[in-house]
This record gives sequence, C-alpha cells and structure tokens, in this order.
Amino acid sequence: MTLQLQHVTKKYKDFTAVDNLNFTIEKGEIFGLIGQNGAGKTTTFRMILDLQETTAGTISWNGKPVNSINRDVLGYLPEERGIFPTMKVEDQLYFFGELRGMKKAALKKDIDFWISRFELEEKRKDKAETLSKGNQQKVQLIASFIHKPQFLILDEPFSGLDPVNKDLLKDAILLLKEQGTTILFSSHQMDNVEELCDHLCLLKRGVSLFSGSLLDLKKQYGKTKLSVRSNWSTTELLQLEGVKDVRVEKEQTVLLLEDERFAESIFQQLSAGKYIEKFSLDYLTLDEIFKDKVGGTVVEV
Amino acid sequence: MSKFSLLMKQLYKSKLKSKSFISMTLLYVIAMSVAIFWSDIKELFTGNDEAQQIAIVNDTSADLSGIFVSNSDMTFIQDESNIKKLEQQVKDGKLAALVEVSDQNGQLHAEISTFQPLKLNDQSTISSLLQYAGQHYAVQKLSLTSDQAAQIMAAKTVISNKNLNEASTGGKSEEEKQSGLWVSYAVGILIYFFISTFLSMITTEIASEKGSRAMEMLLVSVKPATHFKAKIAGVLLLAMTQMGIIAVVFLIYAKFAKNGVIWEMATSIVKELSVGYVLYAMLFLVLTIILYLIVGALFGSLVSKVEEAGQVLMPAMMITLIGFYVMLSGIGNPDTIIIKVFSYIPFTSGMVMPMRIGATDIGMIEPLLSLGILLVTIIVAYLFSLSFYKRSVLTYSTGGVIQKFKTVLKVTT
Repeated sequence: MTLQLQHVTKKYKDFTAVDNLNFTIEKGEIFGLIGQNGAGKTTTFRMILDLQETTAGTISWNGKPVNSINRDVLGYLPEERGIFPTMKVEDQLYFFGELRGMKKAALKKDIDFWISRFELEEKRKDKAETLSKGNQQKVQLIASFIHKPQFLILDEPFSGLDPVNKDLLKDAILLLKEQGTTILFSSHQMDNVEELCDHLCLLKRGVSLFSGSLLDLKKQYGKTKLSVRSNWSTTELLQLEGVKDVRVEKEQTVLLLEDERFAESIFQQLSAGKYIEKFSLDYLTLDEIFKDKVGGTVVEV
Repeated sequence: MSKFSLLMKQLYKSKLKSKSFISMTLLYVIAMSVAIFWSDIKELFTGNDEAQQIAIVNDTSADLSGIFVSNSDMTFIQDESNIKKLEQQVKDGKLAALVEVSDQNGQLHAEISTFQPLKLNDQSTISSLLQYAGQHYAVQKLSLTSDQAAQIMAAKTVISNKNLNEASTGGKSEEEKQSGLWVSYAVGILIYFFISTFLSMITTEIASEKGSRAMEMLLVSVKPATHFKAKIAGVLLLAMTQMGIIAVVFLIYAKFAKNGVIWEMATSIVKELSVGYVLYAMLFLVLTIILYLIVGALFGSLVSKVEEAGQVLMPAMMITLIGFYVMLSGIGNPDTIIIKVFSYIPFTSGMVMPMRIGATDIGMIEPLLSLGILLVTIIVAYLFSLSFYKRSVLTYSTGGVIQKFKTVLKVTT
C-alpha cells in the first residue's frame, strides 16, 4: 500500500513544472508536500491523480501504474474550492459518494457521522452557495473522503479555516489516519505540517530540496537555534565564536549558531557561572528551515 | 449505476427542474396554442371593432353597386350623392373615406378622400375592389351580354404538369412545394431555437462546473471522456424530452381542439410531403443538435468561468444565425445557389436541406450526401473534442477562443 514517485518530470514548452521528483509514501502515513505558490505541488497532485500526464518518470500505487488502478481508491480535495453551488449539502455528499461507487444506504451512516462531526447539522438541506466559505470547505472536504479512499490528497486543506475549524480538520485527518488512510497534503502553514506530518518533501520551482522524515530534516540543521535573555549587546553576542546571526525579539534574543557544539562554550561565557534567566537550545522550526531552504523569501499565504 | 448514467441523471434531473427549461417549454406550448387558436384570439381583439363607414359616389353610368358589398369590416354607403355633405361627414369623422368614381378617357378613375389616413389593411381592400371595378367597367363598356361578361371576369387558366423525363418520378406540384416550404420553415425555426437553447445549456453547464471548480472533484472519479459523453447525452435527452412534450401537446390539440381540423390538416400535409421527408427532417434535426452539443461541450471546456461562456458561444451562435437567414432567404425562392451551397455545410444543412427536400425538385443523392457530410463531421468533431476535452477541461486561461485553444495546446503538450 504505497505510493511511489520515480523520476517524475512535467515539462511544458517553455518551463519545467516538476523536475525529477522522487518520494515514497507508506501506508497509513501522513506526508506533507511543501512549497511556495508555483512550486509544482498542484501539478504533482494532478499527475498522481492522472489528471495530467507526466513527461517522464513513473507513479505507482502498490506497484501498479497509477493510471491503471481503480480510481475510487483515491480521494482528492482540490486547492480551489469547488462544489455544485445549487445542490443541497446532503445531496452533494450522496452524489459524490455514489459517483465513487458507494450505495446510498451505506453512505447514510457516514454522511450523518461527518455532518454532525463538522457541525453542519443545520445546513444539511441548504444549497451549497448559501453557506459561508469555511462551511463550503468542510462540505467539500467530507465529499473528498466520504467513499473511504485508501489514499487521500488534500491540497491546502487549512487555508481559509478559523482556528476552531482547523482543529476539527486536524482531528479528522488523524482519525482517517487511524482508519488506515494514507494522506498526502500540501500547505503553506508550517505549523500544521509540523504537527501532522511524518514525512515531507520540500519543493522549490519543481525541484525537490528535501525528501524524508521531518526529524531528519531538522537534524540536518541540528540544534542551532539558541534563545537567550541576557544583558549582552548585539555586537558582543555577534563576536562570540560560532554565532552566525543575532536577532532581537520582544522577550528574548535569538542566536543562530554555525553548529550545535558551540552552544556549551557560549553558555559558559554568558552565564559565567552565575544564574541565567533563559538559555534554550532547539531545532529550527520548519518555518525557519523552509525560509532558509527556499531562499529566505516571504512565503505567500 | 454506472458513473456515466449517474452523471447523466444528475444533469438531467437538475436541468429538468430548472426555471429556464420549464419556462422555455411553456413558451413553446404557449406559442403553439396561440398559433392554433389564432383566429379565436384575433376575434377577441378585433371583434368589437365597428365597421368602417365608406361612401361610394358613382359618377359613371355603369352599375358597380354589386362590387362594393358591405361586410363586418366595412360598410359601403352608395345611396347618397351630395359630395359636399359627404365631405363634411368625412371631416366630422362619421365617414372613414369618400370614394368618388368617375370616367376619364374611357378608364375608371377613383378619388379617395379621407380626413385621417386609412389603415393599411382597409386601404388595400379598397384598392383591390376598385381594381376589380375598373375591369368590370371596361368589360361593361364593350357592351357584352351579362353571361359573356361573367365568363371574362371568371376566366382562369388551368395548369397541369407533365414530365417527359420517364426516369424521373415526376416533379412536385406547386401545392406540394408550397406546403413543403412552410413545413421546412417551421422545422428550420425549430432547429434554430433548439440549437440556441441547448447549445448554451451545455456550454454554461460545463463552464459552471469548471468555474465552480467542481470539475476537479468530478474528474478524479470520472474519466474526462465519460464526463464529456454524459454531458452530451444528458442535454440531448433533455432536448428529446422537450420535443416530446411539444409533440404530445400538439397531438392533444390536434385531436381534441376544433373538432380535429388540425389533425386532418397535419395528416394531409404529411401525406403531401411523403413520409420520407418527415424522416429526413427528424434526422437532420437530431443530428444537427448533436453536432452543436459536441461543439458546445468543447467550448464550455475552454472557458475559465461561467461568465465567459457567452464569449465562446458567440461564434457558434453566429453560424446558426447565418443558417437561419439563409433558410429565411429561401422562403421567397428556394432554388438559389446560396441555398444549395449551405445545404451541404454541416452546421447549416440541418436548417437549409429540409427546405430543399420539401420545396424543390431534388434527387435522392443530394440529401443523402448532405446527411453523410453531417455524420462524418459529427464523428470527426466527436473524436477531436474527446481528445481535446481531456486537455482543456482543467486548463484555466484568458483571452479569446483562439487564444484559449493556443493556451491549451501550449500547456498540455
């Protein structure tokens, strides 16, 4: 039960959208695809879903080419929200479920379950276009996995959701994972990725910068983020051995180290055997790694 | 249920309940009712009109009183000869017109005096009566017996057709051509309306699915080809449903309204036109709709949002309009070269060819050839659209139709 991408490339006449992409997603895993707008995430999804052809490379599901499998094992939530505007919420879910080969009677239980779980009880007879954007998104999300797919792709599932709904969605994703669904999702919001993903792939303009487990990625950088609270000035701190950069924040000063091993000597010098209010060495956040990897440019959300 | 029939059913059911479909069907039924009960409706509006008072003053010696016979539209007053008094009555509005008939160099001369201009309809009635009176006057001056005069006035040439080409099955009579012309006209209008309705229906349907991005959700579970076929089949089924409703309403009217007069009329027209004609007309109707549906689906897949549907519909609508006008031009003379040319062009042949079949002497080969061209075009358009659809349906682009085609080709090859 694995999805495997080998040397997947998508070329258009004048540019390459995806260049030699390789990764494997194991059964029951949550895999994050991260990249800026135009990095090639949606193109990758579309190739996996056989909505677009690959220029080169192979995509296989359980060893079989993905375009030869029964498509009902796949579920997809597109980035652009799309449901039938004039169809009732409930009808919409039945329609997509039936379209995926489910029987109406079998669908009822699941539809009832997810409608109540996503707090859409009052809206079930409403036309989709009358719903708020967030609620429409929830309906579409249910529609994407109502047929219990083995493999679910979620393109930017968190964008446009408020914190309460974000938590509902996170819980739903974890529940699906528990039930054995393999999930691939993309996001701009690194905190979500950090929380949910086991493995990830970092894309920049179609090229994979990293592919593997989140911990491996963090280890690549090591524990190089040092937050301190001291009365040393920025210039003094910068002169310390192994300090690459100093950033003053509201409550603390953050030092970026060249390597983890410099931390101990910095501690000795800062504290000089006395009490120190804050000295915290940590991995970089995914957000920081991402910005570093893609070149420090601001991420569009 | 297969995915194809699920998609088709969903489209069919939602469109069948849509306001536009219901109102369009109602409109057809109302239009048909108006046509069938036209004479009754006309009566309702004109029945209360008072007859126009028209005075005739005859200054000649001939007796023309038998020609001006009063009816429900006009009353002729012929017993007053005081011009001054009559002119005053015209001015007062008591009389609609005063017609003074006199002899000028042996010809009948009529002067029509009015205060307010006559209505066109009344004017032409009076003109033709006066024309007839003029002939009558000329005949009377020849001092013939009344029998002889009556014979001249009733003279009529009897025309019969004889075809010396034994191989031919014989040309159509004028009546046949005339009824063929009118039925073809009706068929052409029907095709035109059906195309406009269902072409825009399929285009906006696909465009709205694409625009609302439901398309991606659908295409994950359904192959684009299946989606394409289901849309065409669904809309075609709707078109058939509408035709069916119209046919049933017509049959009910024909059988039960006006003691079955319409039924007799319809059967006599069909008899005059031959069953072959009816079959041809139906075939052209259905095939032309299918062709336009394929084009409509393809165009719908090109646009990015439903608001742009009108833009891509424009060229197709123009073509139907051209076909429609070419057909209209055939009402006067269905034998022109332009009609012949357009009766072979697949997008217009559905409107033009039935007219040629019905209203002109045409062999077996021409309609079959035109039908063949239409069929081949449908197959080619279908295969092309099917392969193109897969590429265009998820490509979002801006610009005109040609620009969109280019973008699709660029980003998918």
